[in-house]
Amino acid sequence: MSYSTDELAAMIRDDSVNRAVYTDPEIFELEMKRIWGQAWIYVAHESQIPETGSYFTTTLARQPVLLVRQDERTFNLFFNRCAHKGSKVIEVESGASKVLRCGYHGWTYELGGHCKHVTGGDAAYNKLGIDKSSACMALQKVPSVASYRGFIFASLTPDAPDLGRWLGPTATSIDNMVDRSPEGRLEITGGALRYNHDSNWKFFVENLNDMMHAMIAHQSSAQTARFMGKKLFPEGTEQPTEIQLLSPFAENVDFFETMGIHAFDHGHSYSGGKTSIHAGYSGISGYEDAMEKAYGKERVAEIFSINRHNTVVYPCFTLKGAIQTIRVVKPVSVNQTVIESWTLRLVGAPDEMLQRSILYCNLINSSGNLVGPDDHEAYHRVQLGLGTDANDWVSMGRHMGTEEPNDEGGFSATGSSDMVFRSQFKAWKQYMTMSRNAGE
Amino acid sequence: MTKQPDLRAIEQFLFLEARLMDEKRWDEWQALYVEDGEYWVPASRGQPDPLNHVSIMYEKSLLRAIRVKRYSHPNAQSLQPMPYSVHTVSNVMLDSYDEDAGILVVNSRFIMLEYRRDKIYTYGGAYSHKLVRDAGSFKIKMKKVDLVNCDSVLDSIQIYF
Repeated sequence: MSYSTDELAAMIRDDSVNRAVYTDPEIFELEMKRIWGQAWIYVAHESQIPETGSYFTTTLARQPVLLVRQDERTFNLFFNRCAHKGSKVIEVESGASKVLRCGYHGWTYELGGHCKHVTGGDAAYNKLGIDKSSACMALQKVPSVASYRGFIFASLTPDAPDLGRWLGPTATSIDNMVDRSPEGRLEITGGALRYNHDSNWKFFVENLNDMMHAMIAHQSSAQTARFMGKKLFPEGTEQPTEIQLLSPFAENVDFFETMGIHAFDHGHSYSGGKTSIHAGYSGISGYEDAMEKAYGKERVAEIFSINRHNTVVYPCFTLKGAIQTIRVVKPVSVNQTVIESWTLRLVGAPDEMLQRSILYCNLINSSGNLVGPDDHEAYHRVQLGLGTDANDWVSMGRHMGTEEPNDEGGFSATGSSDMVFRSQFKAWKQYMTMSRNAGE
Repeated sequence: MTKQPDLRAIEQFLFLEARLMDEKRWDEWQALYVEDGEYWVPASRGQPDPLNHVSIMYEKSLLRAIRVKRYSHPNAQSLQPMPYSVHTVSNVMLDSYDEDAGILVVNSRFIMLEYRRDKIYTYGGAYSHKLVRDAGSFKIKMKKVDLVNCDSVLDSIQIYF
């Protein structure tokens, strides 16, 4: 490694970061080991592996992994690699099977990962003193796996901290999404959207709590939506859902300032709280009744009083509790990132709730959506602009020093503050310069 | 026009639609749809409906009007530079014809090249047009675009297929 710990630390100043953190492939490789190889990374939701034998494949810091339900209470996360020749064992995204069979030489594994069958018999390995029961013939587990209210995270280190504590106050964003189900259950449904971004992963993770861009970058879609709404639907009539979902992106600076931002340890953050761009949607018939029946009026008011915009569990998991969608960050290279978007059903709520979330994903998260291409273009232009020799330093000093401690143990600031970026890079610096990296 | 739909006339209609998109004659393109006409690009193979499963695009007249109006918005960053396209339509076959309702279902294949900022993006798949007879020609009730890579990672898509 050509970067020393001191050199990496020097890339992060209080009010700016060195452009190399976004542009240098070597730093990207270090991030994969030191940040993505240590933090809790989102894998899947438990509803995606409902039955014994259900499996789901994905990546963890670019490595193929395989999530398998062993029984009602147990699931395992394996590296998706055959213990024999190293082939990916399961190639399809999801399915169900009694055993896990490698398609190359037929080695077969139990749902717990133990080797069940070696083609031609395991006696062929007698001289090595190993057989099917040996650990080296089993699928290898990812070192740390844990679930928080159905959301499964994993870490490539064996000594990962307690997941719930590590999530900190962002856990309450997950809680609030779960609480919005009359049965207290969520289910991933309705497929995934995978959107390629020609830009560094950090631009996306920063942008979700960048309250200064929406009214500029999304002017063309949100302003147009407002214009069409006014033109086609007279004042006083209910605007169609499409207009309700798109219009708030054109709110003025004051609206976003008031929403506010909140930053916590490990780089986590959320924006909004009491209000957000999701707060003005019309009620859906039958939903509030179902909620009140389940929880009582007072508790329901409490649940709905929390209305957050984006929650970012740094570095990889982002959620919108108020509209029940998650976006998962999958870095590919220093200037390429895939963003996966999933929708959650509030179990026990009317179908129209899910349909609105689906519509939101179509309008905001799909590759063909009306809002995201402007974000993507913005990230890409930063990627291009940082290729100039104009200035090695990228500013993140807006409203610096005006943040106040909040009662969740973090800090809060006016919406347009760069505090979230400063907090993310504080975590970045901690991960990238930790003493445990010395043994790499 | 004879009662039995003329395949040649159907083809000409599909070619016209493709041409209007390539020439960015969006108002004329919009006018090819009936009032509640749908444009749908599913995000998975065999996707049963556009309401309970995400789509790459699912737009009725309101969203199409917003998208088309946005094409000329001065501050649409992602349209600077403007993408250009060429659509090629082929393998046109009449799947069904309901004479009483005047409704035809037409299947065809397409390739679309999109050019933007020194890059060509290639898309291909099947079109399914549900057409209704209208004053000697047709209008679109539903255009479904089954991309061959509908479930893949996709780049920004800003032009209609």
